[in-house]
Amino acid sequence: MIIQAPVKNRTLDQEATGTPQADRHSVVTEREEVSPSKPSLAPAMVLEVRDLRKSFRSGFLKRRIRGIDGVSFSVNRGSVFALIGHNGAGKTTTINCILDLVHADGGEVSIMGLDHRDPASRGRVGYLPERPYFFEHLTGRELLKFYARLLGMPKNRRAARIDEVLAMVGMTAYAGRRLKKFSKGMLQRIGLAQAVLGEPDLLILDEPMSGLDPIGRREIRELLMDLKKAGTTIILSSHIVPDVEMIADTVGILKDGCLVAVRDLDELSNGFSYTGDLALGEAEPAWLPADCRTQNDGRARVQVDSVADLRNLLNDCHREAIPVVSLATHRSSLEELFMEINGETPLKREVVR
Amino acid sequence: MTGNIVALATSTFLETVRDRIFYLVAIFGFIMLASTAILSPLTVGAQSKIMADVGLASMVIFGLLVVVFVGSNMVRKELDKGTIVTILSKPVGRREYLIGKFLGLNLTLASMLAIMGLLFLLMLLFAPGSFSLRFLGAFYLTFLELTLINAVVVFFSTSVSPVLAAVFTLGVFTVGHLSQSIRDFGQMQGGVFQQQVSEVVYYLTPNLEVFNLRGSIVHGTAVSGEHLVMATVYSLAWTVLLLVVAGSIFSRKELRGE
Repeated sequence: MIIQAPVKNRTLDQEATGTPQADRHSVVTEREEVSPSKPSLAPAMVLEVRDLRKSFRSGFLKRRIRGIDGVSFSVNRGSVFALIGHNGAGKTTTINCILDLVHADGGEVSIMGLDHRDPASRGRVGYLPERPYFFEHLTGRELLKFYARLLGMPKNRRAARIDEVLAMVGMTAYAGRRLKKFSKGMLQRIGLAQAVLGEPDLLILDEPMSGLDPIGRREIRELLMDLKKAGTTIILSSHIVPDVEMIADTVGILKDGCLVAVRDLDELSNGFSYTGDLALGEAEPAWLPADCRTQNDGRARVQVDSVADLRNLLNDCHREAIPVVSLATHRSSLEELFMEINGETPLKREVVR
Repeated sequence: MTGNIVALATSTFLETVRDRIFYLVAIFGFIMLASTAILSPLTVGAQSKIMADVGLASMVIFGLLVVVFVGSNMVRKELDKGTIVTILSKPVGRREYLIGKFLGLNLTLASMLAIMGLLFLLMLLFAPGSFSLRFLGAFYLTFLELTLINAVVVFFSTSVSPVLAAVFTLGVFTVGHLSQSIRDFGQMQGGVFQQQVSEVVYYLTPNLEVFNLRGSIVHGTAVSGEHLVMATVYSLAWTVLLLVVAGSIFSRKELRGE
């Protein structure tokens, strides 16, 4: 079954060609015809993955280990699709198979109507690998020139476009510095710059925020939000659920190489929850469940699901003079689903009276 | 396609330049000077021949060192570090990638040989009567020989580790210079098995003696145009064959494991 990601931004092209907006999570039965010679008539479906399988041989006896098994999904133009899963769940393998960096054992991948094994299919794709590593002997600007040539960018456009993407990722000041002197965050930014250099229709990002400090993470996140607003189709893999919640429209959850769930985040997170950190000190209210109290610092973390419960909690704290150290609002649904799928108990606690 | 190959070749060339590979040329210059200063008093009347012998041999050795040690690591380094994945995620075919890397290293080789050749000729200017343009033939044959060796190292580097690729390539270089002798030795032996083995070795390894006319050039014989054409065809045929097989192996290679 192909699970289709929802269309978020209908393009003028779609309007013009009358391509109907796909139903959410609908089964796709027909592949759209794409003419590579007419890129302006781009299809609504940017990526289609069907029954993708990959196993690896490992160890002395070369035993087969499952990488991914029967992964199927599709991504429509303008949407942000996130692949989440624990380490080793198959996120990177899925991406590597899509880009034909590893050869799939079976299944089909179509990028804008072209078979993924055809190098031309990658002409409109930008890719940022996990732990990006580039030619250290080049400067930032030289590296981008190199990729611009590989993308077949006309010579008269290269300089302006390179300046544009350097400014976009905040690397203009370091463009003349050799990459061997770049920090991890700078490598990540220049990696993102090469990924967006060709103004790709499809941007594939493998753990784009891993290893970054909080400021770096926020900056990359904001950049991705801008790209999303500009209508770029993005596929990103991550195991950082809050980041995914902020950026993605749809998530696919991988477990042990299988895509076990695909959810629209808007539908998933209708309900908000609230987490309060309480400084209990010597006080030990009867209504507080025993397992909410931490052993070391005399604090308790309480999570409630509704505004009414939150109001009650705050009233109780006020009445019993228990300071509320912090209060956070969050959408915990994705995290709960993720934990549930991976067989873990959610963090959530009920306030018992 | 051509644009991709040129971009990859240029980048590879730039990498070798910035990795200071050309420092080897300075060592070559030093050896040339040393051969003049140290060997001249020992070789009364044959000073220019000794200089030419040492110079041409040094060119082969330095060229070989660069091709084997840079070439054996060239592809593997990018596979290990992961630079290759962003390149191949662009519309670049794997064969294009391999050809680009090969041509980049060959450009380095050609530049090194050109500089060393120029230094060689300049040194000969100081030995009266020894300067001759017939040495250009020796330079060209050395370039053809090392181009073939470059293809050998690219072939091995797609399938085995850098150390093994270097060892195997040096093995091919050695056997390639002995293949004619091995074949002749096999023919002289009475046993059919020895004859067959020597024939197999002869046909499976390039005959690098085709490019080794250094001795006769030093002694005043110029290389014929016909020989240069045949050597060019021979080198190109082996190079193309090796790159086609290497490209086929590389196309099937898994670039990333989980």
